[in-house]
This record gives sequence, C-alpha cells and structure tokens, in this order.
Amino acid sequence: MARRDYLLGKFGIALLTLLFVLLLDFVLFRVLPGDPIRAVIGRNVRISAEVQQSLREQFGLDKPVFPDQFVDTLGQWAQGNLGVSWSQRKPVSEILISKLWNTLLLIGLGQLLSIILGSILGLLAGWKRKTPFDVGALMFSLIAWATPTFWLGIILLVAGSTWFGLPTGGIVSPENVGKPLHTVIPDLAHHLILPTLTFTILYLGEYMLIMRSSILEVLSEDYILTARAKGMSHFQVLTRHGLRNAMLPMVTIVALNLGFTVSGAIYIETVFSYDGLGNLVQTALVKQDYPLLQGAFLLLAVSVIIANVLADFLYTYLDPRVKAN
Amino acid sequence: MKTRYNLFVVVTLLALILSACGGGAPATQIATDAPSAGGENAVLKIGWLGEPDTLNPAYAFLTEAYSIFDLVYSPLVTEDSSGEYVGALAKEWSTAEDGLTWTFTLKDGLKWHNGEALTADQVAWAINAIMLDPDGWAALSGYVGGFSEVTAPDEKTVQIVTEYPIANMEYRLSFLYAVYPPDFESFTTPEDLQNFTNDKPIGTGRFKMNTFDKDTGVIVLDANKDYMDGAPFIDQVIYQKFDSSDAMIQALKVGDIDLLYEVPASAFETVKGFEGVTALAFESRSFDELIINSVSDDNDPAPTGNPALKDPAVRLALETAINRQDIIDIVWQGLGSPADTIVPPTLGGGFWHNPNIKTPEFSIEKANQILEDAGYVLGADGVREKGDLRLEFRLQFDADSSNYPRIADLLADWYNQIGVKATPEAVNADTLIAATTGVGDYDLVIWGWGADPDPDFILSIMLTDQFVLGGWSDAGYHNPEYDQLYLDQQTAVNKEERQQIIYKMQEMVYNDRPYIVLYYNKYLQAYRSDRFTNFIESSLGLDTSASLGQVKPVP
Repeated sequence: MARRDYLLGKFGIALLTLLFVLLLDFVLFRVLPGDPIRAVIGRNVRISAEVQQSLREQFGLDKPVFPDQFVDTLGQWAQGNLGVSWSQRKPVSEILISKLWNTLLLIGLGQLLSIILGSILGLLAGWKRKTPFDVGALMFSLIAWATPTFWLGIILLVAGSTWFGLPTGGIVSPENVGKPLHTVIPDLAHHLILPTLTFTILYLGEYMLIMRSSILEVLSEDYILTARAKGMSHFQVLTRHGLRNAMLPMVTIVALNLGFTVSGAIYIETVFSYDGLGNLVQTALVKQDYPLLQGAFLLLAVSVIIANVLADFLYTYLDPRVKAN
Repeated sequence: MKTRYNLFVVVTLLALILSACGGGAPATQIATDAPSAGGENAVLKIGWLGEPDTLNPAYAFLTEAYSIFDLVYSPLVTEDSSGEYVGALAKEWSTAEDGLTWTFTLKDGLKWHNGEALTADQVAWAINAIMLDPDGWAALSGYVGGFSEVTAPDEKTVQIVTEYPIANMEYRLSFLYAVYPPDFESFTTPEDLQNFTNDKPIGTGRFKMNTFDKDTGVIVLDANKDYMDGAPFIDQVIYQKFDSSDAMIQALKVGDIDLLYEVPASAFETVKGFEGVTALAFESRSFDELIINSVSDDNDPAPTGNPALKDPAVRLALETAINRQDIIDIVWQGLGSPADTIVPPTLGGGFWHNPNIKTPEFSIEKANQILEDAGYVLGADGVREKGDLRLEFRLQFDADSSNYPRIADLLADWYNQIGVKATPEAVNADTLIAATTGVGDYDLVIWGWGADPDPDFILSIMLTDQFVLGGWSDAGYHNPEYDQLYLDQQTAVNKEERQQIIYKMQEMVYNDRPYIVLYYNKYLQAYRSDRFTNFIESSLGLDTSASLGQVKPVP
C-alpha cells in the first residue's frame, strides 16, 4: 500500500513535469532570434519574396505565435502527432525513431563500460584508501570528469585516426551506408571505438568518485567491523557487505544519467559525425526546424522523466527505508 | 536482492542487443553490385559540412543540392571554368534576328542513365513543366520568367520563344535541368511535387546516382560510362558529411577523404602544410561591404541616418581612411583581394567586372584633408562638426559573423584618426534586416553578398524598387538612370553592348558610394594530390562535372 502511494505520487509529479516541459518546449524555440524560412532556403538568393511567403504559409508561420500557432501545435500533440520536419519534409516521429536506436547503441555501450570500470576503480580506490593507487585513480577521475566533451573527442579522434587508423566519422563506412546494421557489425564496431571510448572516459570519473565515497562511508559502518570480527576475508567483506550497500547511490546516478546522456551525446555525436539524436538536435537547431526541435526535446525530456520514475521504482526494491515509509 | 541487480543488468543488455540488431534499417537500397571502395576502383571521396536539402530540383535551395545536380543532370548549356557558356545537351544554338527565338540542336546519341534515348520532346517537357507550375517548381521558376513557349519541332531541336529579348538566356538555361519526365509527370498539386524526394534521380549527367542516404548525408555516385562527352576516368564519387570541421580536416590528413568541398579560412594554413595535400584559394563570387545609408528622405518611414552621410566628401573620406589590405591581412590571414565594384571579377571569367575603377589610396592625412576642405572642423572632443552636422555614426554588423567585429574595430580606429566617431555594435541578422530593408534605420553597416554567376542579380540590389520589405536593397540607393540601365542590360542580347551598360552601372554605384566594397572573398578547397590529379582549377571549384570528368587517379 505504502509503495503504491509512493509510486503514484512520483508518477503524478512526472506527469506535471511533462506538461510543463511541453509548454516550455513550444515557447523556448520561438523566442530564439532568426527566421526559419531563411534557414531553410540557406544562401540561395534567387528565392523571391512570394515563394518565401508561400513557405511561411505552408509552415503556419504567417499566423501569430499566440494563440494560433500554439493552439495548432497543442492540437497536433494531443493527437500524438509531432508534425512534419521543415528541413527534411518527413514526419518528426519517423526521424526521431530512426536516430534513437543509433544513440542508444552508443550511450548504452558507453554507459555499460563506464559503470563497470568506474565501479571497479572506485571500489578499489576506496578499499586501498590513501595509497598511491587511490591518489592516482582520484586524480584521473577528477580530470576525466572535468574534461570538456568536445575537446576530449577531438583529441581522441586525431590520435586514433593518426596512430591506429580508426575512422574519422560516421556510423559505418560510406560503402556500407544504407545496409542493415547487423550485416556490417565489424565496420560498425570499428566506427564505435572512438566515440564509445570518449563517452566511457567522460562518465567513468563520475561513477568512480561516487563509488569511492560511497564505499568509504559503508566501510566505516559497524556491521563491517562485525563482519571482519566474524573472520571474513577482505574480499568477502567488500563484495558481500560493502558493495551491495554502496550500490544505492550508484543506482540513482546511473538512472539519472541514462536520461541525461541522450542529450549529453550531442557533443560526441557532432565531433564524430555520428548519425544519432544529439547530432539531429544540433542540425535542427541550426536550421531552426521548430517541429523537429520540439519533437527531439520532448523525447529528451521524456527520457529524463522516465529515468527518474525508474530510479524511484528501483528504490522501492533496493532501499528498505522507502519500502517501509 | 541479488536477482534484482541482475534484472537491471539484463534490461540494459537487452536494450543494447535490440539497438544493435534493430539498427533502424534505412529505407534506401544500395545496388548489390556496387563496386566496393578501394581495390582497383578509383573512388574519389569528398568531405563536406552540409548535404543537399533534397534532390528534387523543383524544391532544392541549398548549394550542395546544385553541386549534385551538376553531376547527375544536364541542362542545355552550362558554364565552363573560364566563365563562358558551352553546350551540355546542346551541340549548337542560335538566336533569331529579333532576339526572341532561340533554337538549340541536341547532340547525337543522348541517353538517360537507364539506357533510354533522350528526345527533344522530353527536354521541352521539363522546361514547360516549370512554366506551367511555377508554385511547385519554386526553386527554378525564377529562371523561366519571360518565356512564352518551348517546343520540340523535331527530334533533335528545342525551340524557346520569349516575350522580350533575354540577355542572360544561357545563364538561366544552365539551371533548367532535363529531368526524366516519367519521374515528374504524375504530380497534380505543388505540394505533391515538393514532397517528392527524388532520392534516385535519373539524368543524363556524368555520374549516376547510386545512393543518397538522407540519414547520414552520404551520397554515392557511379561513373556514367555512356556519358555523351566520354566516360569519366574515376569509377565512383562519394560525398561524406561531417558535423565538425576539425574532424573533416583530420579526415583529409589521414586520407579518409580526398577532397575538401570548402576549407574554413582559419584552417587553410594548417591544411596547406599537410603532406600529399594541395590547398587552393580561388577567387569567389562573394564580397563584404560597408553600407552607407543612402535612403531617400521621401521614404516612408523616413530614414534615421545621419544627414552628414549624404555629403559625397564625407563618403570619400570614409573610403580613403580604409586600409583594405590591412583588413584582408589581419582579419582574413591574407585570404581575400581588395575590392572596388559590386560586380566581382569572377563573374563571366572577368568579362563583367569594370577594370577602370580605381579606389583611392589609403591615407589618413588625405582623408583628414578632404573633411577639412569640406568644412568639417575638429571639435574639442575630437569629432568633426559643420553647423548642425556632427560626424558621429552607428557602425552595426551581423552578430553571427566572427570577422565583422574585428573589421568594425579596425574601421572605428581609422575613423577616430580623422575626427569621425563610429561606434561598433553587434546586431542580430533579423534586427539588421528589419533596420535596413525598406526602412533605413542605420548609419553604417558591415555586411556581405554572394553574387550569381550572371551579374543581373547583384546589380538588382541597387534598384530603387528593391528597397521594400522582402526586397534586396539595403542601402536604399535610388537613381532613375541606374534603374533604366538595369532594364536595358536585361534585354541587351549583344554581349559587348550589355558589358558597356554594366560597366556604366558599376561606375555609378562606385561614385555615389551607397556601398564601400571592402574585399572579395576567397573560396578555399584542398585535395589529396598524392592520389588524384588533373582537376580543373577554377573559381567554380574542383568538383564540377567537367573537372570530375577529367580527374585521374595518380598511378
């Protein structure tokens, strides 16, 4: 009963957040300076004022932003229709879905690696506290966490392509473009190495730091002392009592990150010309493609909200205090 | 407890596996017999930062789209690297005495990419389609203005009759591609036509479309072995889209790509230093200028420009105090040429640029003297005044540009030395458009233009009737004599006669100074000269159809 109320409450908050995001989503891009029509026609100077006007009408930009455009957009969204992209002339939802898989592949791999490596590093550093290993791992993690994404990406790109012959961009080689991804796995893997490495290094630091401080806290608890007194080995104490309790903050941060990393991939995808959501957002922003931008931001917001709900849900299983309360 | 942790891992893994397998298989299909890159095939890979908006010529606006059309489609005539118009589909052509009837004879044995023979009927159909549905063919309808009838009297002849003589007929025709009628016949409304993506265009050009993958921006083109002027020496051209210029430059360095469509000016020196790479700076068709408010006082709403700017002596002083070479060297690392008129020397291979216009030599002293002689006296605060007139101006520029702020600083500094106070101010492009088109709410503005290959467009920006909302004039130049000359040049079918009119127009604009044209930009490209050779080096770029038709792999 308590859990159901708790979850319902969280769910309600999530819904409210979503409504607020929808509103913000509409306003945000329209307060930006710039004329979407000029962005669509680019540098083509021969487009007459009449043609520009007809495009404006086609996109509904000839009507006032409020209430007409707002009502139109809300009406569309209510029907589950995200509209048609101005720059690509395809349904927004279709474009988003095709890019979502690519992004999930990249961040899924990156998250998995950074969680595993970060946890192990944090665990060891916490266990071997104040040793040179701890200091070294701490330094590395702080630096990795503080490094600008774009900078690290370009450094790895230059190094990787110069010394290891890794590709400079794309998701597959041009000759494999358009083929289903599972038929070109070696080529895909080759293209994934650098972006995944960048992602892993950037997030590893955060996980390591969380894990380290969390394990330090746990190790100072009385039950650890008890466990040692019972004669358990260091390793047993660490894995059976230390790790499990230290995982709690990790789950929170992992769940939250899963939501945020979709947008965090914008820089990595741009550096590596990786055909994913982040890249799409960047292009749509440059082209002032409102429907596409709105759709993409809605998706990003929803993924953050879902990740939050997921974290709350997991808590009810992991943390007895939440269960009881 | 244990199982639940595992559940989390399983979910994550599942998502990963799904994403790897699902892979959002794109809709485009690649021909299975496509030659693979490498091996004995010569594949030229071109890197660029953009991609075509669409491959449908009815609705394509971006330069990138026209680069692809140039390779896949053929018009009747096309511009060559020297700025002359030469036959593409047409073997020869002639104009009747009255300048109203144009007759084109097609080359022999013309074939579409699918092997079918091309007929004159089909060429006429493609042009007629634009005339009949100008709303649908939004991107090209401007080129058929004044056409009254296009017919195919016999299998080898296309005839165009116009309402009035059209001076730049060849230029216009160079954009009227022969599209494959069966691809375009079925559309009934302009929207239907514009929503057609034409991802697999059938043309008659040097290269056939193999793949256009809208998701990744990759375009694969195969050599057309049956091309009318002979097969290309390379087998494939691949365009690859990059989202970061640093990554693209690195790709050229390590040889992932062979040609850079456009090198950013800031990276040109670096690229020049790469081993096995040749970097080239071509004269381009664009320029940047200082706009001087020239809006008529009768304009509605009235201009807010400082009235002192109407004085020709002030304008001359403003130009004399500009060191063009300094701007090029400091702001553009030397990549530009000092400019004079609004018609860049690249148009028509230099045919239209008036070579007799000489800009005053940079001299602060001389500029001071001009203002002194005109009666502007240096005030106590270092700003010159004459009666009510005070030489203090707003100096605005487009905030999006990274170069304009530095140019503004240079100008303000020089002007400061001649008793003119110019206050630099970054303004966003829309505000700038609102302040300049039809309004005249500014003093001085730094901005730029890209000209068409034909001078008609760039001359039109100085027309009186273009100073309206949505028009091209920002300076508000109004000169009935100039307007008349503009109409004259449009119908001057004789090239030399048209040249003389255009010379005169440039002189007028130069002397009245609605613009002080600062410099002509360079167009920067680079290629792997250790792999490919024999490009045509011209301001049209290395990747024109003609150039890619003769390029050869280095043995």
